[in-house]
Amino acid sequence: MTDPVRATPDDSTLVRIRGLTTVLNGKTIFDALDLDIPRGKVTAIMGPSGTGKTTLLKHITGQMRADAGEIRVNGQNVADLSREQLYKLREGIGYLFQNSALLTDFDVFENVAFPLRQHTKLPEVLIRDLVLLKLQAVGLRGAARLMPNELSGGMARRVALARAIVFDPMLILYDEPFVGLDPVALNQVLKLIRTLNQTLGITSVLVAHELEAIKQVADHIFLIANGKVVAQGNPMTIANDGSPWTRQFFGGEADGPVPFQYPAGDLAQALGFTGAAK
Amino acid sequence: MSQQRSSYAVGTGLFIVLGFAALAYLATQTSSVANVHQGASYTVDAHFANIGQLKERAPVKVAGVRIGQVQSITLEPGQEVADVKLKIDNNYDKIPLDSVATIYTSGLLGDQYIGILYGTSKKTVADGGTLALTKPAQQLEEMIGKFFGAGGVADNLGGTYSVKADFTNVGALSVGAPVKMAGVPIGSVQAIVADPVKLDAKVTLAIDKRYNAIPDDSSAAVFTSGLIGTQYVAIQPGGSPDALKDGDEMVLTQSAMQLEDLIGKFLVNGSSSSSSPSSDKKDAGNGKSSDTPAPAGKH
Amino acid sequence: MNVRAPQSNNVVIQSLTQIGNCGLFLLTLLMAIPRSFRYIRETIRQLWFVGAMSLTIIMVCGLFIGMVLMLQLYNVLSIFGSTSASGMVVALAVYRELGPVVTALLFAGRAGTSITAEIGLMRATDQIDAMEMMAVDPIAYVATPRFLAGLLAMPLLCCVFCAMAIFGGHLVGVTWLGIDNGTFWSNMTAVVVVHTDIVNGVLFKSLVFGAVVSLIAVFQGFTTPPTSEGVAYATTRTVVASSIAILALDFVLTAFLM
Repeated sequence: MTDPVRATPDDSTLVRIRGLTTVLNGKTIFDALDLDIPRGKVTAIMGPSGTGKTTLLKHITGQMRADAGEIRVNGQNVADLSREQLYKLREGIGYLFQNSALLTDFDVFENVAFPLRQHTKLPEVLIRDLVLLKLQAVGLRGAARLMPNELSGGMARRVALARAIVFDPMLILYDEPFVGLDPVALNQVLKLIRTLNQTLGITSVLVAHELEAIKQVADHIFLIANGKVVAQGNPMTIANDGSPWTRQFFGGEADGPVPFQYPAGDLAQALGFTGAAK
Repeated sequence: MSQQRSSYAVGTGLFIVLGFAALAYLATQTSSVANVHQGASYTVDAHFANIGQLKERAPVKVAGVRIGQVQSITLEPGQEVADVKLKIDNNYDKIPLDSVATIYTSGLLGDQYIGILYGTSKKTVADGGTLALTKPAQQLEEMIGKFFGAGGVADNLGGTYSVKADFTNVGALSVGAPVKMAGVPIGSVQAIVADPVKLDAKVTLAIDKRYNAIPDDSSAAVFTSGLIGTQYVAIQPGGSPDALKDGDEMVLTQSAMQLEDLIGKFLVNGSSSSSSPSSDKKDAGNGKSSDTPAPAGKH
Repeated sequence: MNVRAPQSNNVVIQSLTQIGNCGLFLLTLLMAIPRSFRYIRETIRQLWFVGAMSLTIIMVCGLFIGMVLMLQLYNVLSIFGSTSASGMVVALAVYRELGPVVTALLFAGRAGTSITAEIGLMRATDQIDAMEMMAVDPIAYVATPRFLAGLLAMPLLCCVFCAMAIFGGHLVGVTWLGIDNGTFWSNMTAVVVVHTDIVNGVLFKSLVFGAVVSLIAVFQGFTTPPTSEGVAYATTRTVVASSIAILALDFVLTAFLM
């Protein structure tokens, strides 16, 4: 799906984010965020809950528009694209939703075949072969005729992954791929992410919290907090870069730059002591 | 999945076909004329001088039992005769040739149908045959005249005598309206003409000769049966020893009450003007006494 | 897509905002019609769910409406000795008012709620977002086919409803109460006019009602907060808003068509 002619001059960066600023409901999500996602690597984006990691993915796919800044995917400025161009771009991006988002009307086979049916006029035989190959890749060829409600969470996520890669995208965005998986399913998904990246050379972006899992698979980690990238590096080095953010995040401390308390007034005042004393 | 898809398509197709079938049914069976096939039948012609309100598909009955229906009603070209085709069930194929087909009305306001009165002939009407003897539809006006009056005016001409009465207002009184005494019809209105000199209405009443002892000081009033009913002439007998004779004129008359006057009378609770007190009482009884505010003294 | 009414405590302002957003949504739907032609299969599938699956309830209700109408009319008209007119009155009442209105109310309850709940759940489970990500326009793929299916299904359902009501009236009137069969039909055919009663009454009204009900259902599904609570509220709102819209529009349409 990737158009080689339109490749960026800087061939090593697939997604380039510059000065991204987003304000949602009066709250600043991103404050002049700069971020480069290298081509052909597995990049993990981490951060405290509510920092807008999912929002960042939606910016990359053009589902949300930024208030300021520029996002270039494969050299194209997402904000400048028309609907058709945006859809064309999205055909080259796979997106794995946190809750899989399989279409409940269709069985597993049709879910994986859905993008093919919508965007190609391939003969039925070819669609069948392609879908079965992708299902084989995620180990669920035998489950082709099950309905989504008959699948476990891990299976559903693998089906969603098969659907995301059915077009052989240049980029896969994983939104919390490890949430709610038992260790076996987690390892299966990890293995898939690695395999897809290594065998097909698909650039992968992971949004997740599970540090151990990320360490196994990621080439590069960004730590986002307060709308900025506060730390980055490979899994080995980032934990030791010495910033308070990494210390709290990777050291697992309850209090730190991310406060334990939600911003509030003085406790004594809230309980009425200050007023009563005077 | 493709099987699933085609089954959706088939089901949806069936649904669409069913919908359009229902539409076709509504449009053809319930709105325009369409013949419903109800077993084997044969057709008989009948010519009527007047079909009244007879409609296609109206029932054809013998002794009140339905044996078929009206298939079509057309006007005979060049003639003032309606050609009615009757579709009669094959079970009833022994209708005598001299049977009489009459257009009847079920009830006063009901629908019209064709009643067949069997004749005595040995021959029966065949498919495509004609019932020669018919009676046209009765017009409501004539029927009312018959009900309330003493029969048709022309029929009883020999048995009546004429009395004249002058009214300042006859309201909606029409020729043929009944003349009643004590609520019983004793004759009918023969003619209503405007008097060019006295500027009132001169009404000629044809009264049955049996009632030849009506006092000559009796009064005549135009009443309405009920609030919206037809109007008739009521005769209030007087006390004179002499009786009315043919050609006499009744002196005491009360004109038709207009509905507005009546209501006005009820509301002001008084008798503004009335030539005879008895008629006033009868009026109140005849009208809607229960609705009228009664005089305060009676309570 | 993410049309969300700004919160306001004023009921009037809120409902006006809803109506305004609904109108804008209609424009979006209509503009998506050319794009949704490629999803014609989806429209057919929705026609099955929205139309064919509502047939049972429509047919049963139509039958009973016709039966009870005939029973009542017979009782009243027998006072005037004109029971033979009851078939005609059943036909007129059903064609002009009851058919379109009752069908639309049933349709809102049966199909409208299921459309709203389905779309709401699709949003809650990210299926709509997933379609966006797979470069499938959810308006063209999800909203417009359902809207068109509702638009097409309503007149067909209404015809079936009317036919069943006439059948029910015939059943009670002719078979049970003994009104003459020929009189039943002849009186009916004498007064029912194809243009005013069937085209304007049955078809036009039900087409408008179908558009309104499916618009409201799709709109509520797309704008509700994607939570189970939001879906529940949206389903209720679909029924309430549709019912009010149907009855109000019925008055307006009748006034214009008469």
